[in-house]
Amino acid sequence: MADLVQSISDIEFGETLPAFDPDTSLDNIKRFGQHVGWGTGRFTSHEIARKEGFPGAIVPGVLSQGFLGAMIHRWAPTAQIVVIDTVFRAPVLVDQPHKITGVVTNIDEEENMVEIDITIVNEANETRVFGTATIKLP
Amino acid sequence: MATDIEDLRERFLNIEFDEVEFEIDGTRFREYAIAAGETDPKFTDISNPDFQAPPTFVSTLVGRRTFPSDFPALNGVSMDAGKQVEWKAPVRDGMKLVGRSHLHDIYTKTGRSGRMVFLVTRMELYDKEGTHVANADTRTVIRER
Repeated sequence: MADLVQSISDIEFGETLPAFDPDTSLDNIKRFGQHVGWGTGRFTSHEIARKEGFPGAIVPGVLSQGFLGAMIHRWAPTAQIVVIDTVFRAPVLVDQPHKITGVVTNIDEEENMVEIDITIVNEANETRVFGTATIKLP
Repeated sequence: MATDIEDLRERFLNIEFDEVEFEIDGTRFREYAIAAGETDPKFTDISNPDFQAPPTFVSTLVGRRTFPSDFPALNGVSMDAGKQVEWKAPVRDGMKLVGRSHLHDIYTKTGRSGRMVFLVTRMELYDKEGTHVANADTRTVIRER
């Protein structure tokens, strides 16, 4: 596992973040639905989602955005996410393996800010969610 | 820019159309953090002295409406195209927040399947002292028929 980032001096332009496998299991999505919201059938039942025209139950977009934030925090625990923008290109399917990758696209050492592109892909390496984040580091 | 979009921008941008109050529940944002895969105790342990919501949690705070009540129905299929959060201050257990919503942007993109209209709804979140703690944007796309 790569060393954790503690300060901006630990980061290099073009650096890739350690890949993160989000928990897209039905159990996790049901628990999310119970405690946070988005507990309707299209998120918590493959059968209902298929009736609505989806290939299966889908991960709520707000949780996909949360996955991106968690990936950043796991890589750089001292980072403060200042802005995070998430584009939903296609559904993230429940019970399907997905991988999140990230790359550092800009470093502003005067402001201690770093920009990162983050992508959620499925097993076929198709982009499901694309995000950009600006983080501030010590 | 097309005249219909210019007209919508003139009539609706930056006009507040919704205000809603939220009481922040730490157990809810802890569950959000755990489901998302956060491991830092400041997001997952309610007894942590710096316990706070992950920055993206504010995307789960939903107003009473996404568009102004007099916003015209656009002919097409509407989808959630994305979320953006601008973090300004920590959101903590028990805080009372006020969310004020306005249309922040309206623009179009044209692809092979025709024109798509993007509507960006921004909820500005303030604490009871009036401190601006976050902006939470929802981007809705309408693929025109």
